[in-house]
Amino acid sequence: MYEIIEGFVEAIRLIVTLDPDVIAISARSVIISLTATVLATLLAIPLGATIYFGTFRGRKGLINLIQTLYALPTVVVGLLIFLLISRVGPFGFLRLLFTPTAMVIAQTVLILPIMTGLTISALSGVDPVLRDTLRSLGATRLQFLVNIMKEARFAILAAVAIGFGRAISEVGAAILVGGNIMASSFASSTRVLTTAISLETSMGNIPESIALGIVLLMIALGVNLAITTVQHR
Amino acid sequence: MQRRTLFAVAAVMVALLLICGCTGTTSDPTPIATEKQQLRIATTTSLYDTKLLAQITPIFEEQYNAEVLIVSAGTGKALEYGQRGDVDVLMVHDRAREDTFIGDGYGVNRRVFAYNYFVIVGPESDPAGIKGMQPEAAFVTIREKGMASESDVIFVSRGDNSGTHSKEKAIWKAAGLNYSADVQGSGDWYQEAGKGMGATLAMANEKQAYTLSDIGTYLAYKGDLDLVTLVDEGDILLNIYSAMQINPEKYPDVNSTVAKDWVNFMISDDVQKEIASFGVDQYGQPLFYAAQNDWEKIGVTQAEVKDPVL
Amino acid sequence: MIELEDVSKRFDDKAVLAGVTGRIERGEIFAVIGPSGAGKSTLLRLVDLLDTPTEGAIRIDGTDVHADKGQSLSIRRMMGMVFQKPAVFNSTVAENIAVGLRFRGADERAIREKVEDALEIVGLAGYGERRARTLSGGEMQRVALARAMVIEPEILLMDEPTANLDPVSVEKIEELVFCINRDLGTTILFSTHDMYQGQRLAHRIGVLMNGVFAQVGTPREVFTLPASRDVARFVGIENVIEGVVVAGEDGTVTVDAGGVRVRAKSPFPRGERVSLCIRSEDIRIAPAIRARRVFDGNILPGTVTSVVPRGPFSRVTVDCGLPLSSVLSWKAVEDLDIREGGRVEVSFAAESVHAVRAAQD
Repeated sequence: MYEIIEGFVEAIRLIVTLDPDVIAISARSVIISLTATVLATLLAIPLGATIYFGTFRGRKGLINLIQTLYALPTVVVGLLIFLLISRVGPFGFLRLLFTPTAMVIAQTVLILPIMTGLTISALSGVDPVLRDTLRSLGATRLQFLVNIMKEARFAILAAVAIGFGRAISEVGAAILVGGNIMASSFASSTRVLTTAISLETSMGNIPESIALGIVLLMIALGVNLAITTVQHR
Repeated sequence: MQRRTLFAVAAVMVALLLICGCTGTTSDPTPIATEKQQLRIATTTSLYDTKLLAQITPIFEEQYNAEVLIVSAGTGKALEYGQRGDVDVLMVHDRAREDTFIGDGYGVNRRVFAYNYFVIVGPESDPAGIKGMQPEAAFVTIREKGMASESDVIFVSRGDNSGTHSKEKAIWKAAGLNYSADVQGSGDWYQEAGKGMGATLAMANEKQAYTLSDIGTYLAYKGDLDLVTLVDEGDILLNIYSAMQINPEKYPDVNSTVAKDWVNFMISDDVQKEIASFGVDQYGQPLFYAAQNDWEKIGVTQAEVKDPVL
Repeated sequence: MIELEDVSKRFDDKAVLAGVTGRIERGEIFAVIGPSGAGKSTLLRLVDLLDTPTEGAIRIDGTDVHADKGQSLSIRRMMGMVFQKPAVFNSTVAENIAVGLRFRGADERAIREKVEDALEIVGLAGYGERRARTLSGGEMQRVALARAMVIEPEILLMDEPTANLDPVSVEKIEELVFCINRDLGTTILFSTHDMYQGQRLAHRIGVLMNGVFAQVGTPREVFTLPASRDVARFVGIENVIEGVVVAGEDGTVTVDAGGVRVRAKSPFPRGERVSLCIRSEDIRIAPAIRARRVFDGNILPGTVTSVVPRGPFSRVTVDCGLPLSSVLSWKAVEDLDIREGGRVEVSFAAESVHAVRAAQD
């Protein structure tokens, strides 16, 4: 109990004094996960729209597959990306292993299914009467697509926030392809909130772990707050 | 009002996305393009957890205008990374597997830079009564007591194919036991942590169990532990740390120049002095011994501790 | 203007429309009435090209609208539609109304003006910047009407536009429909299950039953001269009696309805099986003792079986060998001392009896 209280006090001190390590790790986490979220968004929205509006064979099956992939375990994604970008893997020549780029790729792959799936759900959630209304108002195919997307924008935004939340809170892939490196330069380091918490706890640095945990929790809560605000529209 | 809040939230999110879109691309390092040379090292956890590497890497980075990226993983994983060509240098402590690794052509230019001893640590009450025994006898005793019914004797193993794990297996073997048949899975007394040295010590401490640790990590963590050294003598407890390059003939784009610099740096007089004095202030005794002048004592060739890599 | 020729629509195995034929004239307000599930929505959706008929053709100004997919958009852009469920886009009221204009590439100034005008007309002036989702159902439906109106369609389709709305909104929307038709000459085709709304608004009514038009005619025709027993029931005629024509001359016939003789105006010949439709408003009830015999119509003695209050009136049912209902004011019921079990005389003119050919089965 004493350890927890002491840890908390020290953790608060680390946060309010803007401890450079805590700040750097938090900033890196946000940058990496946001980059992954942007990439995944750029892929998931067109992909989700194509699948939703498309009329091709195996469409139902594809949607089922995507929904199954929601549960993609992070370490499996980590392992997959590791095998692909490791020196002896097919993309080894890019020398991406143990770089932030590798983490961005892993997180993008990780959240792509859920963001695509949620985009499809968001589009399906649009009132059918509005769909008829658009057609009856004489929308061209493109005008129809644009307006349906516009109507689903808050739900799509929620999908983006959920993707970001999943990206920033995952540890399995980050540690496998990032390596939890603390280098002298910010850009070469791959230590993020989750991997740092894992390491600091195993090394017995409880206050640091708690401080990083609080930051991660605040980010996660912030994201959730954003989601609820958006969904209350 | 609610509408305005929503707008603010949306605006912030968009802004963040934009910022990230920009910084994201600039922050992604392209290893080849940065002017500083990058050196990737996979290290055994003991060198990392004791913060020895944190002490000496800044010196290297300044001297050689390089950036050192360290993946702390345990000897087994480090060897795996080396074999896949994912790092430039290995820092490990498992002579037998290093020999195989070099023999297979993956590693070159091994130099021994430090050594210390393994210790068997356990709760002060020492329920198995191993204090002062030879390591082999101590292991046999722990096993016997552990397998007896209603016993509170537990042994926590690294269980991660690290150098320490290798050493532990070697001790079981020297004690006349078959590791996989007689030890692993022989009962609840034997538990595999699957973690680094620091984490394994923390786990042994939680369970008030015995474990095998390198003295360096044990001393670095001692302050947070209720575990004491019970066995620290015996030839088999010798622990030798080496650094080696990944063979550039196997992986032509490993950073062999800086890798060579690093290996030479580790056996340089300055660093050897750093190693010999590291931790003395804090723990009252060194965590590692410099290998430079003790090559006979630890049974390696002089060339391995003294001759710079060319 | 709109010709429906044998239009059929099946969904899977269920036939919703089974050969609808009819014609809606330019500038006309045409109401499709009928019970729920009769296919009213489907018919309107087919006209608006939101669905394709299984068989038959819909022609607008002679063009088969479903024939050429390439023409769908331009044909659809001649029409505007308001749906039963009020639905608005998640944006401002003004943006909602502007959607159709934007699709047509109108410039911003024109859009602003037209939207302002439309808001004025539907009684929502000053609502332009509100979030459409915050409006009431009736207001939303007015937005939907404005949205369909600003594109100045030649044909305005409305699918039960006032179902589930409050009476004030219903009145407002009916007034708007009337004005749009009168001032802009827009052809309006709307569906409703409220026969009185059809009566109030429409120039002509099509009664859709069992997938076909059971009757098409002016409100007066439909309400006074229903074409079938089912239509009669639907337009609220309470007394429908089955019988056989037994005698007739000069368009006045005598019908035998289960032993009771009823005189009716009808062209049907002897032996024809007919249904007699008598509006309860046309039936008079008086105490037997006071009955005057100078009346050249039907006078049937009977016993009051029930007196049920209905609003400010009472519905009185009399057994005259066949059950007949009438509606009397409370005062009349009191004055005439009408009570259950009392003997009365029921009278109604032959002209009040509308005979239709009985259903085939």
